[in-house]
Amino acid sequence: MTKLLKQPTLNVKKDLEHEFVQQLEANQNIVHKICRIYTNDKHGHNDLFQEITIQLWKAYPKFRGDAKFSTWMYRVALNTAITLYRKKKRRPDNTDIEAVAYRLQADAYDDAQEQQLKLIYEAIKQLNDIEKALVFLYLEDKNYAEISDTLGITEVNARVKMNRVKNKLRTILNP
Amino acid sequence: MDELDIFKEQWKKEEQHLPHLKFEEIYKMILKRSSSAVKWIFIISILELVFGLAVTAFWHPSFEQDLEIPPVAEWISWAVFPLGIYFIYRFFSNYRLINTTSSVNELLTNIMKARRTVRLWIIINLVIAGVGAMIMMLSALIDQKGGWDAFTAEASLTDYFIIFGLSAGLTLFIVTVTLAIYFLLYGLLMRRLNRNYKELKKMEL
Repeated sequence: MTKLLKQPTLNVKKDLEHEFVQQLEANQNIVHKICRIYTNDKHGHNDLFQEITIQLWKAYPKFRGDAKFSTWMYRVALNTAITLYRKKKRRPDNTDIEAVAYRLQADAYDDAQEQQLKLIYEAIKQLNDIEKALVFLYLEDKNYAEISDTLGITEVNARVKMNRVKNKLRTILNP
Repeated sequence: MDELDIFKEQWKKEEQHLPHLKFEEIYKMILKRSSSAVKWIFIISILELVFGLAVTAFWHPSFEQDLEIPPVAEWISWAVFPLGIYFIYRFFSNYRLINTTSSVNELLTNIMKARRTVRLWIIINLVIAGVGAMIMMLSALIDQKGGWDAFTAEASLTDYFIIFGLSAGLTLFIVTVTLAIYFLLYGLLMRRLNRNYKELKKMEL
């Protein structure tokens, strides 16, 4: 009897896991892009990706499909990057090698435009966590209503701050 | 068209350079344990809440048989228990609000609220410990002089000043140093959260 009762719950859990992993696999670019902005090396990238995945999975039962999976992901993933993620301490020699390897990978494709891309990446890395979130959502083509909703600030404040961030980026890029 | 808009075009093309994890790799990840800051804040907060109660329970002055403690000090020290239960309740009700599906602002605000509850509890504990120690010190000093009546009979203004000043000064010093160490450790744990919280609040002005 207990066996009969237990079986369906086990299947439901498996189904949920499957469904979740499938959705995340299809939308993983969002998480990779956040990791790119918020971390400096491959280790950091992997750690943050791992933590975001766990947080997404933990929050998944509350996801009722009332929004698109990807829209819902932005919130949880950014929240993890901004508030929940703790940089792990590593032996410095390791990190250095990894950082170089990571940069080399980024250098692999470079012509004039890619060079520009790299510069802007570097500039974004100099922004603070909240500013990075603003830029990220802007780059992802989110409108100000969505940006203000994700960050929990008013639309007016989001616009004002966005303009300031653009100016800040301009100053970093053209000193 | 500004730099960021040019970058936006590039940003979209960049997608093909991003890593791609396979189903199995992601599946393995959901089985791992989180190491989030909130988890650590939770563990440390529980330790702090329990610490306040444990100090009172295990080192309560009334357990020292040969020590005569004034009733006021004893009342204050027992008051820690109901207060502790109230704080644990408040911490949990605040902690329950911490949710990754909230907006960034809401999430940070709720984490701060939960932390503030614990911080207030630690401050109250230290103040109680300080006041308790001061009362004990005073009563010990006065006992040495042969009790309150004997002390008041011959004490000059300077005697009062020395005795009260000494107890108050010493207590204040110990409480301040302990608080400073506490805030330093607390600051390290919360540095990033504090910074982001302030940044968001600044935007609301």
